[in-house]
Amino acid sequence: MTQRARLPVHQGLLDRLASCRLVAVTGKGGVGKTTLAATLARLLAARGRRVLLVEVDPRENLHHLLDVPPSGGAVIKVDDWLWLENVQPVRVLEELVRQKVAVAALARKIVGTQVFRHFAEGAPGMKEMAVLGHAMQVVRGEAKPKVDLVVLDAPATGHGMSLLWAPLLVSEVLGKGPLGRLAGEVADLVRDPEQVAVVIGTTAEEMPVQEALELIAGLRERLGRPPELLVVNGLYPPFPEHAGRGPSGAKAALALWRQRREVNERELDRLSVEWRGPRVDLPLLALERGPALVTALGERLVKAVEPAEAR
Amino acid sequence: MSLGVLDRPLLVVVGSGGVGKTTLAAALGLTSAAEGTDTLVMTFDPSLRLKDALGVGDEALNQEVPVEVDTPGRLDVSLLDARRTFDQLVRQYAPSEAAAERIFRNRFYHHLAGNLAGILEYMAVERLFEVSRSGRYQRIILDTPPTRQALDFLGAPDRMVEFLESGPVRVAQRQWFDASGRLAVKPLKILGRSIESWLDRLVGLDLLRDMAEFFQAFGPLYDGFRERAGEVGTLLRAPGTHFLLVAGPGGERIPDALFFARRLREGGHHLGPIVVNQMHPELPVRIPAGGDLEEGLRLLAWLGSRDHRGFAELKSLLTARETVVGLPLLPTPPTDLAALDELGRLLLGTLAGARS
Repeated sequence: MTQRARLPVHQGLLDRLASCRLVAVTGKGGVGKTTLAATLARLLAARGRRVLLVEVDPRENLHHLLDVPPSGGAVIKVDDWLWLENVQPVRVLEELVRQKVAVAALARKIVGTQVFRHFAEGAPGMKEMAVLGHAMQVVRGEAKPKVDLVVLDAPATGHGMSLLWAPLLVSEVLGKGPLGRLAGEVADLVRDPEQVAVVIGTTAEEMPVQEALELIAGLRERLGRPPELLVVNGLYPPFPEHAGRGPSGAKAALALWRQRREVNERELDRLSVEWRGPRVDLPLLALERGPALVTALGERLVKAVEPAEAR
Repeated sequence: MSLGVLDRPLLVVVGSGGVGKTTLAAALGLTSAAEGTDTLVMTFDPSLRLKDALGVGDEALNQEVPVEVDTPGRLDVSLLDARRTFDQLVRQYAPSEAAAERIFRNRFYHHLAGNLAGILEYMAVERLFEVSRSGRYQRIILDTPPTRQALDFLGAPDRMVEFLESGPVRVAQRQWFDASGRLAVKPLKILGRSIESWLDRLVGLDLLRDMAEFFQAFGPLYDGFRERAGEVGTLLRAPGTHFLLVAGPGGERIPDALFFARRLREGGHHLGPIVVNQMHPELPVRIPAGGDLEEGLRLLAWLGSRDHRGFAELKSLLTARETVVGLPLLPTPPTDLAALDELGRLLLGTLAGARS
């Protein structure tokens, strides 16, 4: 097991991500998805792209990771290349309605009705479509801030639906109305690998890997495309093959390390069989979730995708 | 050993995604059956590993199947499937077979049944109520859906009623569309145009027609739903219903745990013990410099101290009323019934120790 085949090097992968308009980071909850989104946003901004990082989670974790105060929904500037926005899906949907109904007072009345509120809350995929629709408008320059690309920290996948194929579902359900047409445009955008990159985050454990594989299958089946990158987070270090007994009192910890690494390797093997595209493995690091972790993971990610001689 | 503080007819296991809720629910189920109590574990999406450990597969979708285990009490498992539960409800409440078929054929229902926000949560409590009322089990352990706001299911019955009582249903119960498929009534005028016509401009008439048809077909089911939702709410606040809150290790997970605890208390629910799961052990040894093990041991020592620091911090933020215990990260996830039972007993032992 320790003689694992070297992972292929994915030269140019970051340039490829940087050339897209939207990078959607997705995966099961609890796998470090938000940290990964912050890391990618920083890396792409460092390549001279103006990046807006969009967060959908109301708990607002990204501010902490980027070391800026929470904004309560306003776009905040992190530095000259990076902006951060925490969006509320229903508000974004209301904004889209306002655009389609030019008279402001009328739009307010419509979004204020119960019929609309329940439609917004209840209609399948509507909120997800609105978040992607907002991202689309930003990269087209139709909404502020003016940036080159959006990195989206997508809500955790799980049951039912992925954010990524919500627009397709909405356009099927809504048909030809203005919102349906918008959903169709967003669905077309998401299908286009030239403009949109999908990055899936996971840990090397059974359920997260299962969800990652289901996501890959769903992307292929529904959108006809694979993700650009799979990132495996939080790997225990390889257990030394000829390790001594270690200090007394560390026996249980060593057993935990060895066996957790075995679980990791088993799941990595499963991934290798099912996914032959670009993959980056990142170690578990002795750092609290915060700006320092983002920096450290960024360095490792760059190292993993770019061979030393190319840098 | 009895189930101690967990000795309740209904245990609801809650917490964020990825903290080991499902495994703990199964482990407690097994230990409960081993103590001679007829137990049902209701869960959503167990891993293949856990299904293998319990020896159940898709036959357990929405029905209770026995786990083959030699315990004094019976252990059954069911896997919840929102779509099937919704279909069953429609069949149950629809006044006729034709009315049920009308709903099933509706395009809106087709998309809605699996995807409507909160539907999985509502179906979970609905199913729970059904089984609970049957009286077939002395104890039910409910694993909760892995949604981002995992407590959504608590409000699900109320939200469903609110949804059904709101505009769409009442409006839809009028005859919206005439025989030629054109809008027949135009209520709620704004600037001389009906809301429907504005919504039509926004989302298209097709969808409105489908929605209207759906809610019209749904009308006769509504009273049954409302009554049921009230009963489900009562069950979730009953003295015999306790919530076991499972949290992940480390300081960064503390806000989630506090949020859950507050929401449960505010909702009038009985908060049982809080379990901080998957903690790395503390490593109170001097790590020898150099050698293959140094770096790994340093990482493990850091993880152990991070997790224990987080645990102490969480405890200091809660009142003495709350029991908080830690469970270690297991070297390997349980793959058989013996390992599950061991985990269940470890939790009970830890809880008993924390109280004495």
